[in-house]
Amino acid sequence: MIARGALTAAAVLLLAVSFFANLSVGTITIPWTDIVSAFFRFDPDNYGHYVVFYQRLPRALIAIYVGATMAIGGVVLQDLTRNPLASPSTLGINAGATVFVIAGVFLFDLSVPAQGMAALAGGVAGFLGCLAVARMADQSRDPRGLALILSGALVSMLLVSIANAFLLSDPTRRTDFLGWVTGNINHVYADRLALFWWIGVIAFATLLLLARPLALITLGPEKAASAGVNVSMVSRLALTAVMLAAASAVAICGPVGFVGLVVPHIVRPLAGGRIGLALPAGGLVGGIICLLADLAARMAFAPYVLHTGLLMDLIGGLIFALIVKRYYLTPGAGVRS
Amino acid sequence: MGFVPVTQGEIKLQGRPIRSIGRRALARRVAYLPQESYCPDYMTLGELVELAGYARYSLIGGPSAHDREMFRDALETVGLADMAHRPVNALSGGQKQRAWIAMVLAQDAEIVLMDEPVNHLDVKYQYSILELVRELTVERGKTVVTVLHDLNLTTAFADDVVMLREGNVEASGAVEGAVTPQNVARVFDLETDIFARDGRLICLPQMSRERTVLA
Repeated sequence: MIARGALTAAAVLLLAVSFFANLSVGTITIPWTDIVSAFFRFDPDNYGHYVVFYQRLPRALIAIYVGATMAIGGVVLQDLTRNPLASPSTLGINAGATVFVIAGVFLFDLSVPAQGMAALAGGVAGFLGCLAVARMADQSRDPRGLALILSGALVSMLLVSIANAFLLSDPTRRTDFLGWVTGNINHVYADRLALFWWIGVIAFATLLLLARPLALITLGPEKAASAGVNVSMVSRLALTAVMLAAASAVAICGPVGFVGLVVPHIVRPLAGGRIGLALPAGGLVGGIICLLADLAARMAFAPYVLHTGLLMDLIGGLIFALIVKRYYLTPGAGVRS
Repeated sequence: MGFVPVTQGEIKLQGRPIRSIGRRALARRVAYLPQESYCPDYMTLGELVELAGYARYSLIGGPSAHDREMFRDALETVGLADMAHRPVNALSGGQKQRAWIAMVLAQDAEIVLMDEPVNHLDVKYQYSILELVRELTVERGKTVVTVLHDLNLTTAFADDVVMLREGNVEASGAVEGAVTPQNVARVFDLETDIFARDGRLICLPQMSRERTVLA
């Protein structure tokens, strides 16, 4: 537990450093003076300016948007489900959004704005599918909430295989989406960020307003209701905000996992029970992680550029195993049941 | 409190159907302590108590100076004033129950409903917690309605009792009139001797057979 101001200030500072590092470091290193002048005195003939403004800046902004929305989603989902493994990627939201976009493009030739709408609908459908499958399990015999996570895995597998079937069916269009479908933070998706950024902003504002009632709901629905919270309305609003925000990120650059899973575990011990602090701090930390991962993806095998989503999935699998070990396999570990 | 559907009749609060009272308005008048309370690992006592004032806050506002004063007072009343920064789950069983009572106090409602507030607690804590609850009624004028299964705790702390069996009221009224061997037998299928000692009733269940005392 550290002070509200200190945590936010440290996160803002780290985000600024990673942001500048992301703009500066790459195949060519751009000095910070050039970065500043690219913002204030942009010269289209200056190659450094061009790289900063048209390649690295959109990439960095997409990384921040994806990281923040996924992380905030993870914070809220882990609180509402009391499950340390809950996140947009483990509860079917990302897979739902992905398959709706792919199906929309392959079947109906959807335009980019329409793909955004398809992603939002898909995110909601994926999550509801996961809940429906989980409901089939006898929840009273599942105090550790594993049914929900297994349902998420099951629904995600099903949806991803459908998406793969579409991708295999059309080799010409496949190349357009092969990068996107693995989660590709890339400047070519700047137009998508310009189209969909407001969804995340509205979702974030909504969740901030709901921070206190959400914290009360973590004490149990009866306790929250007796303190004056409209539990079903607040839960639904919060889940909708999370689903739409995460789906909008998928619409931009495809499904990026891991961030939503891990960030709550970083932020929680620092922010304590204050969701109003955990949300912005989570957003900032999510942004930092994606910026650094993107930097690593660009630099690790330079001049080849990895897809950030692939790198995140690699690290994500490891972190998933660590969380399972800590919460599920350690005797006497405190699973929030 | 609205989370169990009403199957029959109507629940009124001082003559007004509670259905017609808004959720937040109701929370300002009635507080509730569930039988089992859950707190996330990372939440501190201070944060828990602050949440209790939710029904008084505006959408974007937080606790007022008066609210904060009340939170301090609630923690002092339960004897946890210096533990506000501690995670609730790091407290002992008795302290944890005091924490939940502090939260109920911080809600500042005149009526408090408690569902078996001393379940799972050691006998020492059962008495100290209920003494604390009793003080709330005497010193702060709160009305406390609580579910208890222990007859001796009931006779020690309650003014009035309602004895239920399978949802039906078998007896009600002042403790002295309602807690009788006949009523206890009807409700619990248990023969008891009930006698007064130091001004309070003691219920002594009769054993079905002589206990073998090992030498």
